[in-house]
Amino acid sequence: MMHTGWILPAMVLAPVLLALISLLLHSPRAILRLSAFGTLSTAALSGFAVWRVFRQGPMFAAGHWFMLDALSAYHVAVMMTVFSVASLFGISYFREETADGRFGRRQSRRYGSLWFGSLAAMMLVLVSNNLGIMWIGIEATTLLTAFLICVHVAPAALEAMWKYLLMCSVGVALAFTGTLLTAASAEHASLHGTDVLLWTNLRDAAQFLNPALLKAGFIFLVVGYGTKAGLAPMHNWLPDAHSQAPAPVSAIFSGFLLNAALYCILRFLPLVEAATGHTGWGRSILVVFGLLSVLMASAFIVTQCDVKRLLAYSSVEHIGVMTLGFGIGGLGTLAALFHMLSHSLCKTLAFCCAGRLGQVFGTHDMRRITRVLSIAPMWGAGLLGGLLVLIGSAPLALFTSEFLILKAAMDRGSYVVGGLFLVGLAVVFVAVLRRMIAMACSPAADRTSPLQTHRAESLLILTSLIAMLVLGLFWPPPLMRALAAAANILGGAL
Amino acid sequence: MTALQDTVLVLLVLSSFALLGASRLGACIRFVALQGIVTGLLPIAVSGHGPTPRVAVIGATVILIKGFFFPHLLTRAMREAQTRRELQPFVGYVTSLAFGVLALIGSFWLDSRLNLPIHGASDLVVPVALATMIIGLFLIVSRRIAVSQVIGFLVLENGIYAFGVAIVRDVPALIELGILMDVFVAVFVMGIAIYHINREFDHIDTDRLTMLKG
Repeated sequence: MMHTGWILPAMVLAPVLLALISLLLHSPRAILRLSAFGTLSTAALSGFAVWRVFRQGPMFAAGHWFMLDALSAYHVAVMMTVFSVASLFGISYFREETADGRFGRRQSRRYGSLWFGSLAAMMLVLVSNNLGIMWIGIEATTLLTAFLICVHVAPAALEAMWKYLLMCSVGVALAFTGTLLTAASAEHASLHGTDVLLWTNLRDAAQFLNPALLKAGFIFLVVGYGTKAGLAPMHNWLPDAHSQAPAPVSAIFSGFLLNAALYCILRFLPLVEAATGHTGWGRSILVVFGLLSVLMASAFIVTQCDVKRLLAYSSVEHIGVMTLGFGIGGLGTLAALFHMLSHSLCKTLAFCCAGRLGQVFGTHDMRRITRVLSIAPMWGAGLLGGLLVLIGSAPLALFTSEFLILKAAMDRGSYVVGGLFLVGLAVVFVAVLRRMIAMACSPAADRTSPLQTHRAESLLILTSLIAMLVLGLFWPPPLMRALAAAANILGGAL
Repeated sequence: MTALQDTVLVLLVLSSFALLGASRLGACIRFVALQGIVTGLLPIAVSGHGPTPRVAVIGATVILIKGFFFPHLLTRAMREAQTRRELQPFVGYVTSLAFGVLALIGSFWLDSRLNLPIHGASDLVVPVALATMIIGLFLIVSRRIAVSQVIGFLVLENGIYAFGVAIVRDVPALIELGILMDVFVAVFVMGIAIYHINREFDHIDTDRLTMLKG
């Protein structure tokens, strides 16, 4: 058997190295190319690790401090998809800004180094078996991504950044209290010193954990990491940060930063469930937060005029859908994991297209973005197609998972939960569809010359849209196996 | 050893109360520096028969960062922003102090209900840590100036640190240093943010950062 202990540390260190290299480069164009090339090569490296995990089971490194099991491998796969697509879009998003000097050496170095820095931090979250290191990774993502919001220093971007920095730092500090309480709950589990924070040890000793302390800790963890994941009512920073950041950054925020925080909550879920004797106490908390997020986001989406804020609230909604799915469990867990993949890919596409259209029209106000299909056909199709997927139209990918989550809720007899969930989805569907029709059909303002689109850009948009359709109709067997293996870790085996 | 521990804990609470009542930023920064030093002494005081080298190193690092480096950063931010005092906080100083007293009483009550394992540390540790955390959160939401909010964040961190010292023994040194590193960078990043906000807006009154809504 080949020795593979190096691969997990390498997955974290490669982006760190790339971040340092991008600080040395001079031209913005080279940095953008490096960001795409470097992301793709990190994706290739981690793709190998993911493949091995699904073939041969969990990998460990550095004395069990690093671990990649089915759940984290699935998250790594989603993350690398999002980062790859967003970095490719980044090249075309910044092209005009590079030409007119707004994206100069300073901005591009900041962008390149922080891009890889946040990739490294999120990778650290996913591959660490140690709950303390996982926390360090999440806090590091907050600090590294803060300055990505204001790649262009402007008052609104600074306001968004301050809100993000303060709210998420406080949230993550509360999550740390939760981690401490979890460690304290292991007092009678005969774990000592370094072992006490290793997830695999806590999982094996779950029935010896002190349920009262673990419950208290879990509440802190859900509120703390939930702030970072954008769960309502702790989501206030999210629309501001997402709308002010450059589009590729918004894409990784929505596409994976939120999921990384949700992942941390998921790690604690099996521990709490096992320690409380599988009574569903931890799951019911997730159901409450998930449902609240769906309903609150749907209320805000109705009145939204800014396209990026609309997409941001849609992220709150979808994180809510996933949390609800994990809370319901069983089939819901499987559906939520699938929802994560399709939402991340689709939201990346939608944010990048919305950002590009924003540059074309000079505004993010949907009342002034009109006739998108004739002015910028590919980007318009990408945004409208993406929105169509996001509101859960049949038979596209997100419809499948939302339907399955609804089915899981009904199967368990939670009719009230299912009903409220449907109300939220219906409100979003109508509100967004109204905006979409207006963007497609309202009379054009003044620009009439259609925008040239690169062939590579068209290819990227079309591939993403087709993937959304295909995933809605058919789950390839390897994906199905991966979903089942990941759901199994969360105790959601079918 | 309990006498030393209790002294440290009482100082921790007193510095939080001082922060609740102080309006001049310079004074606030000095109080939070004092609190940082006290927090750094806590693990040394708790570790019964003489500190191990590991505890001593971590304690010294905490004192260095929280007692000297952060105050220095905050003072610089304050000078650049040319703001010497908190402008009309959302909650007045007397009300704030009353809230602090309530928080302390609440923490003692909570401690009596929670029954946390404290490994022979002083009975005061958990209530004091909880009260410090609550006061820190309160400072963040009730103050308007960005520097004061960072001070609130530091108080929250100190509370969490004290909580950790009380209920978790033998957290690996690597993790403790990692956490310290994160807080360190957090405050550093916040300092840079304050600098930019001040330059763009000409003030650091976060209540007037109201462009983004809905």
